[in-house]
Amino acid sequence: MDDPIIMARGVNIFYDTTQAIIDVDLDILPNKVTALIGPSGCGKSTFLRAINRMNDLIPICHMEGLLTIGGQDIYAPDVDVVALRAQVGMVFQKPNPFPKSIFENIAYGLKIHKMTASKTELQDRVEWSLKNAGLWNEVADRLDQPGNSLSGGQQQRLCIARAIAVQPKVILMDEPCSALDPIATAVIEELIDNLRKDYTIIIVTHSMQQAARISQRTAFFHLGSLVEFGDTKTIFTNPADERTQNYITGRIG
Amino acid sequence: MPHQHIVKKFDKNLDKIKAAIVEMGGLVGQQVNDATAVLSAYDAAEVARITAYDRIINGLNKDIHDRAEILIVRRQPMALDLRQTLAPINIAGELERIGDHAKSTAKRAHIIHTIPPQDATLDLIAQMSVIVQAMLGDVLVAYGDADIDLAARIREQDKEVDVLNKQLVQVVIDALAKTPEMAESLIHLTLISRNFERIGDHVCNIARYVHQIVTGEDLKASSRPATPRTDT
Repeated sequence: MDDPIIMARGVNIFYDTTQAIIDVDLDILPNKVTALIGPSGCGKSTFLRAINRMNDLIPICHMEGLLTIGGQDIYAPDVDVVALRAQVGMVFQKPNPFPKSIFENIAYGLKIHKMTASKTELQDRVEWSLKNAGLWNEVADRLDQPGNSLSGGQQQRLCIARAIAVQPKVILMDEPCSALDPIATAVIEELIDNLRKDYTIIIVTHSMQQAARISQRTAFFHLGSLVEFGDTKTIFTNPADERTQNYITGRIG
Repeated sequence: MPHQHIVKKFDKNLDKIKAAIVEMGGLVGQQVNDATAVLSAYDAAEVARITAYDRIINGLNKDIHDRAEILIVRRQPMALDLRQTLAPINIAGELERIGDHAKSTAKRAHIIHTIPPQDATLDLIAQMSVIVQAMLGDVLVAYGDADIDLAARIREQDKEVDVLNKQLVQVVIDALAKTPEMAESLIHLTLISRNFERIGDHVCNIARYVHQIVTGEDLKASSRPATPRTDT
C-alpha cells in the first residue's frame, strides 16, 4: 500500500473555547477518493478546511497537532499559505466562479502563481484544464463569456478546472454536488473518478449514497471525533462502531 | 437490538419482511411434516394437496422478493439494513427449495405404498424428518431473535442428518442385493432420503444467513480461499 500523502496526528481545532475537532489521527492515501461523512456540526468541514489552512481566515479558530502533506508540516512557520493553496485546491458547495470570463477563471490562478511563460502556454493550460474537467466541448466556442453564465453543473466543473489548472496534489471538495441536479451530479461524480488517477481527493458529503459510490475510503466524524475510518465497502456494509451504523442507516443513536 | 429508524415506516417494512419469512417457514415446515406422513399413511388426495400447495409457497417467495426490492428502491439500505433486506431474498429461496423437496417426497409416496420397503428404512427417514423439522423450527426462531448461538447449533445438528442418510444408503445397498425385486421402491427411498439430507443443507444455509445478518460475516465465503480484489 502507498504511503499516505496527508497525515493528521493529534489534531485539535477550536473556535474560541469550543472544540470542533478532538484529537484526530488520519492518514489519507494518494490517488484515492476519501469521503468525510457525519451529521451537521460533527467537524468534517472544519477538518477539511484545515488541510489547506482555510481556517486561518477565521480569527477565533486555532489548531493544535500535526498536519503534513507529502511529509511537510503545513502549519510550520515558514510555509507559504498561498503556495500551499495551489497544492491543495478546493471546490465548494455552491459553485463560485470569479466574475470574469470562462478563460480568465482558469487563467487567474496560473497568472498569480506565474505558472506559464507565454500566452500560448497559458492558452494551452486553460484548454488542458477545461478538457480534464470535462467542460471543454461545452465552452470551447465561448471562452470570453462570463463564468457565471454557465449552468450550475458547468460552473462547478469550471471551479474544478480552476483548481486543477495549478496542478495541485490534493483537491478538497465540500459538498460539491449538493446544489446540483442528479444528472449534473453524475457528471461530477464521473469526473471525480477520472481525476483520482492524478490527484488525491477528499470530499465532504451528506449523501451516503454518493460517498458509497465515489470513495474508496470513508471517515465518519461524530461530535468532533473521528469515530471510524476504513474502506468504503466495510464502512457501508459492516461498520465496526454502532454510532457509524446508526448514522448511515438513519437510526436514532 | 438495533436502535429504531428515524423513519418509522422503514422499521415496519423490515418487520413485514421478517414476518413473511416466518410465515413462509411455518408453511414449508408443515409441508415437510405432511410429506413425511403420506410415506407411512398413503393418501392420494393428500399427495395432490401437497403438490398443489407448492404454488402457494412459490408465491410467498415472490412476495418476499417484491418486498425486498421495493425496500431497496425506497430506502437504499446500508450495513445491517442491507443485510436484513438481502438475506430474506436468499432465505426465501432456501425455503422454496425445501418446499420442492417436500413435494418431491410426497410424489414418491405412491411407489413406497405400492412396494413397501422394510420398516427399518422408513424409520431412518422418519428420524431424519423429525430432525430437519426441528432444525427448521429452530432456524426460524434464530432468524426472528437474531440468535447466532442457536444458528451455530443448528449447523452442528445437520451432521446427524448426514449420518442417517449414509446409513440409509448402506441399508438400501444391502437390500438391493437381497431383494432385487424391490429395486424401484429402494431407489425412490434413496431419493427421498436425499431430499431430507438436502432440506438439512438448506436449513444450514438459512442458519448461515442468520449469522451474516447479525455479524456481517459470510461463513460460506470465509470457508473458501479469498480471491484478491482490486478497487473499482
